Amino acid sequence: MSSFEDADTEEMVTCLQMTLYHPGHQRSGIFRSIKFFNREKLPTSEVVKFGRNSHTCNYIFQDKQVSRVQFSLQVFKKFNSSVVSFEIKNMSKKTSLLVDNKELGYLNKMDLPDKCMIRFGDYQFLVEKEDGESLEFFEIQFSLSKKPLLQENNWLSQEPIPECGSYSSCLTQNNSPMEVGENEW
Amino acid sequence: MPPNLGELTAAVPELDAPQEVRLLSMERPLTVLRVSLHHPTPGSATFAYVPPQLEHDASPLLVGRGPDAHLRLQLPRLSRQHLSLEPYLEKGGTRLAFSLKALSRKGSVWVNGLTLRFLEQVTLGAVNRVAFSGVQMVVRIEGGTSLEAFVCCFHLSPSPLIYRLRAEETDERESVPQEQPPPGAGHGAPDHLGFLHSPLQPSPGGVPEIPLQREPLDGSLS
Repeated sequence: MSSFEDADTEEMVTCLQMTLYHPGHQRSGIFRSIKFFNREKLPTSEVVKFGRNSHTCNYIFQDKQVSRVQFSLQVFKKFNSSVVSFEIKNMSKKTSLLVDNKELGYLNKMDLPDKCMIRFGDYQFLVEKEDGESLEFFEIQFSLSKKPLLQENNWLSQEPIPECGSYSSCLTQNNSPMEVGENEW
Repeated sequence: MPPNLGELTAAVPELDAPQEVRLLSMERPLTVLRVSLHHPTPGSATFAYVPPQLEHDASPLLVGRGPDAHLRLQLPRLSRQHLSLEPYLEKGGTRLAFSLKALSRKGSVWVNGLTLRFLEQVTLGAVNRVAFSGVQMVVRIEGGTSLEAFVCCFHLSPSPLIYRLRAEETDERESVPQEQPPPGAGHGAPDHLGFLHSPLQPSPGGVPEIPLQREPLDGSLS
């Protein structure tokens, strides 16, 4: 029998889809360390850190205004639930973290809603959770938005950038001027 | 001598002030976790790597058998990462709170009457009874105001810390037993870590103690 037929049944893994936006990302390359459109598999026991420090953070923002560790995400399981949930924790002493309309100070944490907007400074992250069965692993996938994600009370789903596998390639493919609405700044 | 809470401080750097002013004015007392540990096998090496005191930053403190564990316990049945103690701040709070999460895929962790499976977690109260893989652990939290770090002070107990409920027990309230010095130790003779012979007391104010639940204790205690 082939190895495909013998292999253990794969479980669907929970995936966090994170759409990132910062008004200066094209000019300053703050997201150049992020591998967009790549689904990264992580163990559920891992605390996932976001920030400026490349030694301690899983995902790095090349921006001196970002804290060394800005915030963290970690998996937990609610009692009597078959799926995993996420907690978000503000690790920055200087900057508050907004999750939808809730403000988190240093070391404050909360359950991450299945769909929510995370904000700190000029950064906007739209996070959407796709449930899976696995308790062992989960995935994170990043996409990039050229337009602000927060538009009054509506989170507009932005047009996806063509899948090209790398940040720099994505930038060079689109040479047309970027239209910005007069109310978007 | 047990470490004085007043001596357990974390300096908060203030670059413009002279050093002596920084030390005097900016130190904040650390939160202390007084952790009593017991394993039923006498003379075992379970706690060979447990230090008298362990200072840790604001990241989760890992307990397990593996080399990455901050508190390493030598037990074959223990997972490499068995549980974590995570400090955090409640909204509006000024002192660290702690969350205990089970990290073992095969084993469970019993905490204050609740059995935690993999990735389940609970918030700890002022005094907490924890059991896993035959280890009994009582954690008492004494809040400090430092958010930089906390310190664990460990005490190895020769006698059990958590007793099974007997079938004929009718009193709904379960008491945490006083620690008895080992036979022949002599009155007042400290063990090698030196403290925690007094009955466990809930700390005044601060985090409320989690109500003790009457629940049959599973194999976590044996």
